[in-house]
Amino acid sequence: MFRAFIDNLRLAAGTFIAHPLRTALTLLGIIIGVATVMTMMALLEGLRLKVNKDLSQLGANVFRVDKWPQGFRIGGGDRINWNKIAARPVLTLDDKRAIAEQCPSVKRTSASSWQPAQRVRTAMTETQANVFILGTTVEYPDTSGVVVATGRYFNEQEDLDGRQVAVLGPDVADKLFPSLDPLGQEVRLKGRPYTVVGVLERRGKVLGLFNLDNQVMVPMTTFLSLYGKRRTVSISVEAKSQEIFEPAMEEVSRLMRQRRKLAPDEDDNFEVSTNESMAKTLNDLSKVITAATFGVCLLSLLVGGIGILNIMLVSVSERTREIGVRKALGARRSRILWQFATEAVTLSLVGGLIGLGSGLGLAALGRWALGLHTAVPIWAAALSLAMSSGVGLVFGIYPAARAARLDPVEAMRSE
Amino acid sequence: MAPAPAQTLIELDDIAREYVVGGETVRALAGVTVHIAKGEWVAIIGQSGSGKSTLMNVIGCLDTPTSGSYRLNGKDVSRMSDDALADIRNREIGFIFQNFQLLPRETALANVELPLVYRGERAKARRERAIEALKKVKLEHRMLHKPTELSGGQRQRVAIARALAAEPSLLLADEPTGNLDSATGEEIVRLFEELHQQGHTIVLVTHEPKLAARCPRAVRLSDGKVVGDGPGAQVAYAEVHA
Repeated sequence: MFRAFIDNLRLAAGTFIAHPLRTALTLLGIIIGVATVMTMMALLEGLRLKVNKDLSQLGANVFRVDKWPQGFRIGGGDRINWNKIAARPVLTLDDKRAIAEQCPSVKRTSASSWQPAQRVRTAMTETQANVFILGTTVEYPDTSGVVVATGRYFNEQEDLDGRQVAVLGPDVADKLFPSLDPLGQEVRLKGRPYTVVGVLERRGKVLGLFNLDNQVMVPMTTFLSLYGKRRTVSISVEAKSQEIFEPAMEEVSRLMRQRRKLAPDEDDNFEVSTNESMAKTLNDLSKVITAATFGVCLLSLLVGGIGILNIMLVSVSERTREIGVRKALGARRSRILWQFATEAVTLSLVGGLIGLGSGLGLAALGRWALGLHTAVPIWAAALSLAMSSGVGLVFGIYPAARAARLDPVEAMRSE
Repeated sequence: MAPAPAQTLIELDDIAREYVVGGETVRALAGVTVHIAKGEWVAIIGQSGSGKSTLMNVIGCLDTPTSGSYRLNGKDVSRMSDDALADIRNREIGFIFQNFQLLPRETALANVELPLVYRGERAKARRERAIEALKKVKLEHRMLHKPTELSGGQRQRVAIARALAAEPSLLLADEPTGNLDSATGEEIVRLFEELHQQGHTIVLVTHEPKLAARCPRAVRLSDGKVVGDGPGAQVAYAEVHA
């Protein structure tokens, strides 16, 4: 049995060597299918792991209070009434202070607010109008996971005084001060001068889109006077420990309802969300994309499989005489069947392996050249190999069965 | 080694083979009875359409008779399944075809090994036996050449080596000199004579009376029936003057 398998493998190899171009073209169909799915899987899985890591870095015991719902929802559920949400009262720094002071399970709170698409200048140069300006209170590094690489974050006094100091994201710092230490330098926002006191550590992108390094942080008071005092803030709340995380969320909800004088039958007019709930929505989304990708891969493997079917039919018909000779000399039907089935499966498996290799290569290239986060789940690699060899078997069995059924006398007569 | 005439290798009794072609039944063989002993060298002679090719396919277990019985080496092979017939062909019969039927992509050695491959023999053992068979036909020096690099006579000798390698009880040759010039043909006939002297049982299918005349015994077919059976020269004479 094993010897027959080795012989069949040798015969398959002989066929591939005898027809290199034909073999390569047939392989290509499978390679493209598997390489596509591996690249997609690598990107998706890398993204998912990265986002989960980012979210966990935001602090394990941190949840947020917002005016607007966070994240995005997948599938059914109630329709969101955006008009009603827009009419909610804004969250203020008073809310932030009240939560910190009145909720016993809460360790600390921070507030932040942002303004997208801003241009930051120096006397020499300027950024594009794509910088996120973030106003934060001083506790922000503790509740968000941002780390100051050089210099310092602004302090309580600077916030209270509304001083014009800024902490730059690494991309902004690199753009504005390519050959200069940014600390102590002056940058201009909406025409006002800010002194750089710190530069943040690099954090990368979220979802491959939102660049966490293209930001400028300024004190909350300063931010509000620059962009408008009536805007809502987003409050990050850190519970004293993991054990009292849930009670802390309840205390905050109760306090907010009390402050807003909501009747017991009224819905919350604010959102409390955890990083876990965001991670869950992201994981759900990635599952949907993964399934869709596999669907597309299956289609392209189907096309590759038809290529294999075609080439195997050609292979059988041009080797009719050979099959006749083999049968005359004592090859059983099953032996001929497996000879051609082995050829088809080897072809698709080799295609699958090359596709896997190219997919991993593309993922590595993406990581190296574009700084994308990639990771290949073992199950996806195994599944695409299994799928490609399955395709070889399914599409190879019909030509192989045709070969096995040939009458030796007739077959030997063919040219 | 003298043949033992008492031992019968081939027992064909009242063999008929009918084909249905376009709704009409064609009788290729109409009751053929031939017995061949071990060690015999028998020619089967007849013109095209006489049924000799059909008879060769039946003897070679490539085809099964519509009726009648065929015992080969004591086994009834007339009602066997495809796979069982494949095993019989592999063990009992060494084929030598008119157009050699060698695999063009494989070396002479690999071609000779082929029947041993389907017997499930180990690579080393089958290589040794194949080389031995190639020595018998004096082609061991060409064994790593492909058929396209060999002359017609050499190709037929490779085919004979392939038939010998499996050590079958019967060598079945179909017009073995048909594609060869007369000098090379003569070489092959001499080889058959040698093999006969060594004790091999040979059945040779041909339309050439000259070739049949060289065989100790010949069976003449016409219209699917045996019309002559006796010493080769005698039967060949009858064929020429039919």
